[in-house]
Amino acid sequence: MQARTQEFKATARRELGNALSQTFLSLLPPGFTALRQIGMSSFPDPDAAVEYARAIRAEAIARLPELLEQFERRAIELGATVIWTRTSHEANEIILDLARERGATYITKSKSMITEETGLNEHLREGGVEPFETDLGEFITQLLGRPPFHIVGPAINVAPEEIRDAFMAKAGLKESTTDPVRLGLAARLFLRDKFEHLKMGVVGVNMAVASTGTIINVENEGNIRMIKSSPPTVVALMSPEKVVPTMSDALHLLRILSRNCTGQKITSYVSFDSGPKRDREIDGPEELFIVIVDNGRSQIYQDPLTREALRCIRCGACLNTCPVYTKIGGYPYGFAYSGPMGQVLNPLLLGLVDTRDLYQACTLCDACREVCPAGIDHPSLLLSYRARAASDVHGQQTVHALLRRSLATLLAFAMTHPRLWDLGIKLARPLVNIAAQKGSINNLPGAQGWFACRDLPAMPEKTFRERWRQDHG
Amino acid sequence: MADTRGCILEALRTAVRLPPAPRPVLPLQPELILDRPQLVARFTEELSVQTGVVLRATDARDALRHLTETAKAEHIATIMTSTDSALAPLDLKTWGQTHNIAVHTAADFADREAFRAACFGAQAGITGADFAIAETGTLGIIFHANQPRLISIAPPLHIAIFTIDRLVPTYEQAISQVFQDKHTPPSQFAFITGPSASADIQAIAFKGMHGPRKLIVILVG
Amino acid sequence: MAASLTWRSMPRVSMFIPCTMDLLLPQVGEAAMILLKRLGIAPSYHPEQTCCGQPLLNAGHRAQARRAAKHFLTTFWDDDIVVSPSGSCVCMVKRHYPELLKDEPAWHTRALAMAEKTFELSQYLVDVLGSTDVGATHHGTVTYHDSCHILRGLGVTEQPRLLIRNVRGAQYVPLANAYTCCGFGGEFAAKYPDISGALVRDKAQSFLSSPADLLLVSEPGCLLNIGGYLHRHYPDKRVMHLAQFLIQDGGR
Repeated sequence: MQARTQEFKATARRELGNALSQTFLSLLPPGFTALRQIGMSSFPDPDAAVEYARAIRAEAIARLPELLEQFERRAIELGATVIWTRTSHEANEIILDLARERGATYITKSKSMITEETGLNEHLREGGVEPFETDLGEFITQLLGRPPFHIVGPAINVAPEEIRDAFMAKAGLKESTTDPVRLGLAARLFLRDKFEHLKMGVVGVNMAVASTGTIINVENEGNIRMIKSSPPTVVALMSPEKVVPTMSDALHLLRILSRNCTGQKITSYVSFDSGPKRDREIDGPEELFIVIVDNGRSQIYQDPLTREALRCIRCGACLNTCPVYTKIGGYPYGFAYSGPMGQVLNPLLLGLVDTRDLYQACTLCDACREVCPAGIDHPSLLLSYRARAASDVHGQQTVHALLRRSLATLLAFAMTHPRLWDLGIKLARPLVNIAAQKGSINNLPGAQGWFACRDLPAMPEKTFRERWRQDHG
Repeated sequence: MADTRGCILEALRTAVRLPPAPRPVLPLQPELILDRPQLVARFTEELSVQTGVVLRATDARDALRHLTETAKAEHIATIMTSTDSALAPLDLKTWGQTHNIAVHTAADFADREAFRAACFGAQAGITGADFAIAETGTLGIIFHANQPRLISIAPPLHIAIFTIDRLVPTYEQAISQVFQDKHTPPSQFAFITGPSASADIQAIAFKGMHGPRKLIVILVG
Repeated sequence: MAASLTWRSMPRVSMFIPCTMDLLLPQVGEAAMILLKRLGIAPSYHPEQTCCGQPLLNAGHRAQARRAAKHFLTTFWDDDIVVSPSGSCVCMVKRHYPELLKDEPAWHTRALAMAEKTFELSQYLVDVLGSTDVGATHHGTVTYHDSCHILRGLGVTEQPRLLIRNVRGAQYVPLANAYTCCGFGGEFAAKYPDISGALVRDKAQSFLSSPADLLLVSEPGCLLNIGGYLHRHYPDKRVMHLAQFLIQDGGR
């Protein structure tokens, strides 16, 4: 997927002015809070359930290479083919080759963020293999050429009129309708034909169980089960951090995944695939390819701090609870991953230079960290990116960065030299108060950001310290 | 490729790592202490919330009575059925002949293509279920040669017929049996909790996306 | 609770006034001092204090933040308790100082010790002093906004509410979406004005649509943000710091 992380501010402004987006987004926080409450109450001890999930993910990441090897060994024993790729391009090429070799002119795929990250669809299309998204939300965003709005509901904000128009133009919808159920039915009919004649399907992986060599997929729509049942060839694409140690661990994460995010106790379907089909089975894949794509993760893994970002299970709870995300939606983040988990992951995948706004645009409110079942401390990670960017002399905005660093050093000097601090305040006061009226300032040059919608109290004649000195000699 | 694998694993292995902290204590799920009638009630309650229909049958004959009524109500002309041993007492082929409903199994088809086409054309699919999990009203189905996958995902109606002894309290009881260390696991195992669903358009939820629109369970015993 | 405090017969309590408060809201700092005096505590004030360094850390200037941290640690070293009418500064001390100084063992130890003895104001009043009724009076309906640092950083929710409810004549009503960030976030408010503006507008709307005629906050940043917005758009609507509220005596 082409990254548009540098368009954050402009896209955010656009989305803030989009009434439909805003209406939908405003429902997320209360809806999510209520649903999560209900979902998590099915645990006898919700806090313990979250702590346990965090421990599972911590272990999965701590033991990543061992678990990957174990998963690979078991999967191969069961007849799967495991392919390792370093880059997105390599992974996309392999999948394209597999499709071509098997005479597949099209593939159907499930919603899979790793495939968005690697840009699989564009690669396949350019190679002459038509990719069809089958998750309803992804199907819609694919037809509209739009990035995902939310990692769980990628087209949840799109107006039914737009969907109708796209379906009438490209998905065989005959009768005009804006009823979501009938639109869903149109998508079902269109894609059913693709499932029925499918030669090769592509799915993501929610969890890869090391002890049994099993891949697990969760879904509500049935498209993943279709894709894993209908064609003779199935490709499952995963990034390394999807491994979990045992089936018992997988079950706990399964419980947490839905309940922590959408309040569902469990999705409609959870399918556990251990290798391709066996002899005498009349459906299921003859060939199961599991493609593991690194795309920078082994590098991310080197730093124990950034490594924590790999714990994410893509539950979406952080999005639903983030004051920034629930104001601007997914588009401004400009890549496959949005919300706090996107702010944490995209800079690691795309570099700090092009993702500046992603780690700056955070109030550090901690809501994401609190709700994360995988134990990620998003605010700390963002602060570490800010530190890295501030000290990076070879970064893009060198002059600007140099100036900021000099200012910071000056401030720190003043903070450690109280008399200089006091002097600085005395000198600043008349400048700050230059436009003050009746004890209030409504604008200052260079500070239009603050004053766009707020006033500031004028600096009183004396600071607390000055008053104290006066009163206490 | 071998080099890629080696490079990735080597990079991961040589990174500075601390052993993971011990796991905290996790209380047991409360469903574990439910008795049989409570398990049935809980299973039914949970699955009903997902619009699944749970019909009770005293024996095979009673089960077939439910099946006949369902076929009539849903205007079923063609059914695909698995040949899971649990369904044997029902003798579904004979039942089909009696009620003028075409009942097909995998064995009726020369190859996977023909079988697939039949599944996409059938109005209903009948399977057994290896487990009925009370915790969330979930069916646990092992797919194998006598229990093909497409039968429960392609037709718009899925009918699962099984005996009451399949009821278990939580996922763990099902999984521990399916994934035993000594045995090769099945090629596919699935948890099915209600019909297929989506809420991807304006968050308006509906049943019947790509999988079945309706799930009917006939619980025997 | 401060389990590991070294108590003298009269613990030495000192006040840390956040730099924003020192410069822009000195009356709030004075209210905090008056409040503690009324409860029999005579907190000292060290005039050499400056800033806890949080703005520097948030902007990624760790080395500079470290210097500010060391100055703070030195300034308050001899005190048994440090109190501040600000959750974000207290979080900086409790959660960030140890991490910031992790590579300098002596300073790290000092930071850990300081973390144990530093409290946000309402936390100090209720958890340490055991005071839930400070003898204040207010006639009117009030509500309270939880700052993110106090709520999630320090886990303090009940303490301010207890204090508010015990104010004679005050009718407390909960604020809708009290736990949602007001959009301050330090530099965030200036760098991302569109988003910050939308958040502070929402927060103001929650207040305006409540039966309360007074909004209380325990955080100078939130106070400047929400107060600044209200002053621009709804100048008749009142917001004040909890410390100011708690010294109201109904005209005594």
